Amino acid sequence: MVLMEAKCRYLRINTQLGLMVPRGQHIRWWTIRLCRMGTIQIQTITIHHSLQCLMCKKHRIMHPSLSHRRRLEPQTWLRIIVDTRHTRPLLIHHKTTQTRDIPITTVATNSSSSNQASQGRIKTQTNGGYQTTNYNNQSAGGCYPSANYSNQTNTPNQGNYTANPYQNYTPDAANTYSSTVSTTTPVHYQQNYQQWPAYYSQTEVPCAPGTEKLSATSAVSQSFPVPGVTNETPASNVQPAPSYAQPWRQETNLSQPSSQQPAAAVSASNDAYWKHQTPNQQAHYPVPPQNHYQSPLETKPLYETPFQGHQRATYPQGMNSQSSVHQAPLGYRQPTQTTPSVDAQRVSKVQIPTNPRIASNFPSGYTKMDKGSSAAGLTQSPAYVSVSMPKPKGHATAVPEPGTLPKSLCGFVERAFARCKDDKEKASCQAALKKVITEARDDGSLHTRDWDTEPLSTVLNTDMTNTESSSTLISSLQNKSPTKRPKSRWEPFVEKPFVKSASTFSSGVKFGGWNQQNQNNKKSFESFQKADAVTDSKPTYSWQNSKPTYSWQNSAKKSFQRPVKRQRFSGGAANAIDDEASSDSDKDSTPSAMSFATSAEETKRRDSRSKRFEKVQGHSRRNDIPKPMNVGNLHSRRGTALRLGEDFDESGCRSVEDIDWNALTVKGTCQEIEKRYFRLTSAPDPSAVRPEDVLEKALLMVQDSQKNYLYKCDQLKSIRQDLTVQRIHNHLTVKVYETHARLALEAGDLPEYNQCLSQLKILYAEGIEGCSLEFAAYSLLYITLHSNNNRELLSSMSRLSKEAKKDEAVRHALSVRGAVTSGNYVMFFRLYKTAPNMNSFLMDLYVEKMRYKAVTFMSRSCRPTIPVSYIAQVLGFTNTLSEGTGEKETNGVEVCSEWLKAHGASLIADSNGDMLLDTKVSTTNLFMPEPEDAVAHGDKNLDVNDFFTRTS
Amino acid sequence: MAYVSMGEAHRRITEYLNRFCDAVSYQDSSMLCRLLSFSSNSPSLLSLADALNVFQDASSLIRQSDKFSEYGEILAHLFRSLQSYRVGNLVEAYLAFEKFANAFVQEFRNWESAWALEALYVVCYEIRILAEKADKELTSNGKSPEKLKAAGSLLMKVFGVLAGKGPKRVGALYVTCQLFKTYFKLGTVNLCRSVIRSIETARIFDFEEFPRRDKVTYMYYTGRLEVFNENFPAADTKLSYALQHCNPKRERNIRMILKYLIPVKLSLGIIPKDELLQKYNLHEYMNVVQALRKGDLRLLRHALQEHEDRFLRSGVYLVLEKLELQVYQRLMKKIYIIQKLSDPARAHQLKLEVIAKALRWLEIDMDLDEVECIMTILIYKNLVKGYLAHKSKVVVLSKQDPFPKLNGKPVGS
Repeated sequence: MVLMEAKCRYLRINTQLGLMVPRGQHIRWWTIRLCRMGTIQIQTITIHHSLQCLMCKKHRIMHPSLSHRRRLEPQTWLRIIVDTRHTRPLLIHHKTTQTRDIPITTVATNSSSSNQASQGRIKTQTNGGYQTTNYNNQSAGGCYPSANYSNQTNTPNQGNYTANPYQNYTPDAANTYSSTVSTTTPVHYQQNYQQWPAYYSQTEVPCAPGTEKLSATSAVSQSFPVPGVTNETPASNVQPAPSYAQPWRQETNLSQPSSQQPAAAVSASNDAYWKHQTPNQQAHYPVPPQNHYQSPLETKPLYETPFQGHQRATYPQGMNSQSSVHQAPLGYRQPTQTTPSVDAQRVSKVQIPTNPRIASNFPSGYTKMDKGSSAAGLTQSPAYVSVSMPKPKGHATAVPEPGTLPKSLCGFVERAFARCKDDKEKASCQAALKKVITEARDDGSLHTRDWDTEPLSTVLNTDMTNTESSSTLISSLQNKSPTKRPKSRWEPFVEKPFVKSASTFSSGVKFGGWNQQNQNNKKSFESFQKADAVTDSKPTYSWQNSKPTYSWQNSAKKSFQRPVKRQRFSGGAANAIDDEASSDSDKDSTPSAMSFATSAEETKRRDSRSKRFEKVQGHSRRNDIPKPMNVGNLHSRRGTALRLGEDFDESGCRSVEDIDWNALTVKGTCQEIEKRYFRLTSAPDPSAVRPEDVLEKALLMVQDSQKNYLYKCDQLKSIRQDLTVQRIHNHLTVKVYETHARLALEAGDLPEYNQCLSQLKILYAEGIEGCSLEFAAYSLLYITLHSNNNRELLSSMSRLSKEAKKDEAVRHALSVRGAVTSGNYVMFFRLYKTAPNMNSFLMDLYVEKMRYKAVTFMSRSCRPTIPVSYIAQVLGFTNTLSEGTGEKETNGVEVCSEWLKAHGASLIADSNGDMLLDTKVSTTNLFMPEPEDAVAHGDKNLDVNDFFTRTS
Repeated sequence: MAYVSMGEAHRRITEYLNRFCDAVSYQDSSMLCRLLSFSSNSPSLLSLADALNVFQDASSLIRQSDKFSEYGEILAHLFRSLQSYRVGNLVEAYLAFEKFANAFVQEFRNWESAWALEALYVVCYEIRILAEKADKELTSNGKSPEKLKAAGSLLMKVFGVLAGKGPKRVGALYVTCQLFKTYFKLGTVNLCRSVIRSIETARIFDFEEFPRRDKVTYMYYTGRLEVFNENFPAADTKLSYALQHCNPKRERNIRMILKYLIPVKLSLGIIPKDELLQKYNLHEYMNVVQALRKGDLRLLRHALQEHEDRFLRSGVYLVLEKLELQVYQRLMKKIYIIQKLSDPARAHQLKLEVIAKALRWLEIDMDLDEVECIMTILIYKNLVKGYLAHKSKVVVLSKQDPFPKLNGKPVGS
């Protein structure tokens, strides 16, 4: 059954929609995200009725790029418009299960089809195959009262994944989570939750599990781990945080208190920096949690770089088509996820928006593992790979230091434990882990290995034999194709009311492995912990002191990004790209992160992939420049802006005003006059931007061009873009917009006209000379004829100055208004014929309505007949003002009678053969014919087919 | 500003703090109101402000005592706001007041009974007034005024606090009215819709239960909205309600209501007496009413032109402009009556030429096509009964009631 439809336009991107139908829960989350290089505008959103939450008919939608939540009315249209360089339509499949016993329904993902005609319809299908057989069994812990875990799978390439993997995964994940959670003391939870509401609005918790733990450590003084981690971080990982934090915390407290002590300050790329940290951290212990939270920049650097590095490494493996997806938009993804999850918590219901997006990174990871060193049971790892996701961020910085445990390793261990269902498993897992790590240390691969993608199977396989259920699970997992995405980190979540304090496994046991590990490798472990702790509590330092530009930059970026988004400065779409761009550039500076990308094939793929973004890379470093068309393109600038402003205050809460916009402005160097319009998806490249003098020529070229409107529109848009990018606000800008507005009027392209007009209003308000009166007249006409909004009309009328009212065009517009409001069709058509400037083009669009109105008036009021020739004359079918040759006249009459017939009027011929309108009969029969080019959503210009035909 | 000694300042501040805490603990709403109402410029507040400017470290004073520090956040922001207000830094004052209001609302939320509603009203009122003043200051400094907008969202938040079950809900309408005022001032009238919807549809609200003052204000603003929408019958009911229930001694309020009610009534064919216009100083409508009585199109157009700015600003221009049709009707009726006197048999035939001539006497030049157009509109809108014989250029009037009265129905229905 089709649950949802979406129209996509300009798609080259993977669009994924995730929906979750929690059992016994009211809210359903929809996540729509688009990846990489996309600029997204969601205009309207439709949800089919059947998608309503079964219990309360509520929908929510998350739109990542806007990073805000919007309530959906059923039956609106969902339209995702993505504008990218390559066009590829895509299909999105939704699978939903609604069987009662299945706690998890869902999933979504997309497959891209090469078939353009498909127009990117997103479909949801019911898939009974998603049985979570184990669910109930495994809930032995009893920890998830009404927890809803949604299982999402993301198959970026094709929608053909089997239901099997999910079956198993779901329960597995659920179980893991629940167990993890159960360790938590209720008290802690309480606290957590209380804190959430306060922070959820601004706290993005990055908390890679590793990090979390640390904060947890510091949280011994009963601070809440999650909030402890920075406000501003993009942290996608909010959900896992709590669940993870708990075990860790306990661990640290109980078994290894010493480890908390800031002992050796090590790790990270910057020794000094860590050392600084140490004292700092210590100082923080006693401090109440709030203090920790305050520096929003905290973890930034750590997260950023590594993450990106990691990501990059992973990409190459991905399918080519996918690569874009993988890279995708950290920016996008993260914000969205965070919000929902947090919110969910706040609501005290555990709704976790499933995040298919995340998944996209994974497949590549798998593939890699296939090829990679640890071939064993790689298939299993998927389930938790996702969990580790956050890790990369944390670990990369820490990587290269010898004698340290890489953070990713921690994540790995954590993951492994998370998979364990009971003590037995845990114990065996612990042993296995120990072995693996020792081995790794011995052969020196400890730091080089990519623990994030390291299959858990090595560790878990052994465990699995223990329990039957788990073994089944595994086997099913193995069936899974590597590209398949297991449950994402986001999906499972801990129910807030976690009443069960009974821990399924003792923390002591659980972390015994760690402890031992510690002892074996004491220094490293401590230092690594230290590192984590530091990250959490005193991140400020990291960006302050450690100066590798890239990390600093990143951290700043991240920190910035968030507030910016909040303030809705940007369309948001750009973020992803920016992030990505930075990831590209960062990669170079963090070689360590990439060390795992070894195979030749990988390298090759990576290269080819990175070539695609060469441009991006290049720019991102040289010039993070404002994007055109997009006023709020802070994201692109922030990098530079922040780099430029190294002397910013450390608080991290710098406001937009602090940015030196001038420094961010691009100076174009392109000398070509003709340039196609491209919606920018990354910072503009000066070599592709034309300077003012060239733009002037370009404008002239367009004005003289004989080509059609589409060409001109395209050219003008690119001129406008270049102007915007270079922040040129002068007579040229006005001229360009005026030209475009006129052309748009001529072509009847109202949306474009409106864009221009709104820009013009701003420009005129800045005092730049132009034909402001001409456009004042247009805007008056537009309001009268098309928007039909009295208030707007009144206000624009009252804004007219005395002089303006004397202007011919304005006077004309005012009299048109009068004619329209009184219904004086005779006056209207007279004015139509005498319209100055392009007023008549605007009136054009009202002519049909006016004529129809006039004919209804006449046929109601006049008896018995009216000659068609009279109607033709009065309603502007013939031009009576001109000398009007007889031929022309009859022509007009013919057109008029055609028109009358088309509108249901009945015509009769009199004795002279002249056509007459039979008013009595016509009165009841008149109708407005349906416009032939009508589109369901009302805006013809946005029609997909139309678009394709235009572009192709 | 008289010199205030340190000791005196300390005394005044402590006194204020004591009074504030007493007001809260005794739930003395009127006292609290007095303590919060900035715009009243009461001497005690002014002297407190002076004291605050002398005694800079008022927050330590608040912190000293447990009793005060319980409301520390509220009081500290309030003091800062008062201080800035006194020295004329309105933007600062607004910002601090906004923080104060947030803290106060938070506290208010915790109070179970609605005893502090009046105080909350004061806060809502003050924040709007302060925001307006701050915006004025911003504009004069060449910055973009945005504080009123911020105040709007804060008021919306307050509305959210009140819109629930329980005794506090009766305060919702007051906040709604403040919101209306804000939105009308900002020109973002469309934002009113959501509030109106919740007031009119939410089951927790019983309209009759609200204070009369708020009901009148509410009806006035929603009536104005209906005028914008040209939904005259609805506007008529709402504004009439406001007129009937408002305090008859408040002439200014009555005048404000009449400013909208008169055009609405005129559109419904109900013409006010001149005394009414005179009593409430509504001279701008005199000529309009006169034109309607006489069928004098020229007079109407002149009146509209003369007061164009005023009518545009108040938003009744388009409404008044639409009266033109009624003026035409009146004119036709006059012609008809005159014809009847001279030739009763053919009185029901109005020649278009005659009408055009009559219009020419009014210095309005129209050719026959246009006259015909006007006549079709009149007939179509049912202002004239009859039909137009196109061939002979004659309007043939119905013998029965050729010029039906509107009788409270809008034109064209």
